[in-house]
Amino acid sequence: MARAGEVKVTGNRCSRGETYGKEEVLAPRRILTAVVPTDSPRFPCAPVRTDRAIGRAVVPQLLRELYARRVSLPVRQGQVFIEDFDGARVVFTRTLPPDEIPSVGEAGTEAEREDEIPRLQKAP
Amino acid sequence: MTDRTVDAVVVGGGSAGLSAALRLREAGASVAIIEREPYLGGILLQCIHSGFGLHEFGEDLTGPEYAERFIRPALESGIEICLDATVTEIGEEPDGRSVIALSRSLGVIRFAARVVVLAMGCRERNRGNIAIAGTRPAGVLTAGLAQRLVNIEGCVPGRNVVIIGSGDIGLIMARRLTLVGCTVRGVVEIQDYPSGSARNIAQCLNDYSIPLHLGHVVTRIEGKDRVEAVRVAPLDAGRPETGREFRIPCDTVLLSVGLIPENELSRAAGVPINEGTAGPWVDADMMTGARGIFACGNVLHVHDLVDFVTEEARRCADRAAVFLKGGAREPMLPVNAGANVRSIVPNACAPGRQNVFYLRPLVVKNDVRLEVSVGGQEISRKRLAHVQPSEMIRFTLESGSIPPAAVRNIPSESGTAVEVSLR
Repeated sequence: MARAGEVKVTGNRCSRGETYGKEEVLAPRRILTAVVPTDSPRFPCAPVRTDRAIGRAVVPQLLRELYARRVSLPVRQGQVFIEDFDGARVVFTRTLPPDEIPSVGEAGTEAEREDEIPRLQKAP
Repeated sequence: MTDRTVDAVVVGGGSAGLSAALRLREAGASVAIIEREPYLGGILLQCIHSGFGLHEFGEDLTGPEYAERFIRPALESGIEICLDATVTEIGEEPDGRSVIALSRSLGVIRFAARVVVLAMGCRERNRGNIAIAGTRPAGVLTAGLAQRLVNIEGCVPGRNVVIIGSGDIGLIMARRLTLVGCTVRGVVEIQDYPSGSARNIAQCLNDYSIPLHLGHVVTRIEGKDRVEAVRVAPLDAGRPETGREFRIPCDTVLLSVGLIPENELSRAAGVPINEGTAGPWVDADMMTGARGIFACGNVLHVHDLVDFVTEEARRCADRAAVFLKGGAREPMLPVNAGANVRSIVPNACAPGRQNVFYLRPLVVKNDVRLEVSVGGQEISRKRLAHVQPSEMIRFTLESGSIPPAAVRNIPSESGTAVEVSLR
């Protein structure tokens, strides 16, 4: 295993490339995305992400933690699921169930003159 | 039957449809989105991985996050949203267009509109498109379908998986299936280079030690009821070397072998299709050959980045808004794909303003010169460090680049056209 002082990065076109290159060799970090099971038959999966990269080596550990859980809907995008895992937060990436489509009348302005029109959405 | 009248109907509520609808609404038009699924967002919702929005927002977003950036404003904007509804027909009327949709809750809806924006996206090529020999067992599916099963429906399609094609969706699914407990036995790519990005090769295959067989072809799928194995052979000058064939046992085969714009509806409406892209021919206003019908996103040509879909959809909507206001149509010159260019969009340019083009190269090449010429005379050039077919090239032709003599020839009897080449 290489040590920090022994890694030399070449071919990078900016300073971030050097940091990335060293990190990639010594201790690569990744954003993890996954889905966790929900209590809803209509939306059985809630997608989540880490809000920053975590060590690649701890990915299996986080997966085990995620798969052991079940979430109750509703959830909102950005809502925190796990406060701290390897320095990252795990957050939901999709609002479930999705926000209701407003009826045409409620949407206001130009649509108001046609407020007799039925709302064009199937009731869930 | 329900009858509705709006300025613009947008067919499809994915990234292209949402961006176009929002922009038309901002321009003051009354807009309806018709979406087949029971929610907005399109394919972005099943793309739970990150890497979206770097151009558009300067952030590394997941698909659902990118989609919600457009869904929320759409819900607040007064756009009529018609979910769980399938468009079956786009017709021509004396004063515009009609769009017939079948809705689960409302039955038949007939929209009258002056503008229709096609934003139906694309479909995956499947086994029939690439003609793999062998039996027809269960367990052969496209990568995007597997993605939907795993990320939306919560089902894992198999245990031991071989992926055919190294496009980005296939690579993303190699990682995704590994993370849900499958063993990905290998990715088989017919070309000598991967179709997906270098980042995805590193983070989706190398991270999990998944073998990538470049220059190889699946010669046969085996199994009676369920897939049991695939046979793989290296290619020699385009032919499988059967003597060096090997067998990979597996129960599932995913296909990631390209996307085709979904234009059944467009064809039925009389929209002319461009062979190079398999999407509609469009002019500099993103209007198809059928008056009042515009197109953007993957229904027009397959993009690599959703950020470019958003940009294109907005430009399309801006021109559609001008059309709605009855703005005069500018003179245009046809645009053709020249040397080493598989396709270019749009297929015409308006010399009086800035024109943005997307083109798909035919070759893998370093240090390339992009040349634009009119009637054989070079008018613009740009250096590109590297081109490859899996990376779309975007370039801008500034207003005034086209010589006035060529513009005076419009409509041109002599066949004067703009040609874009890579050399």
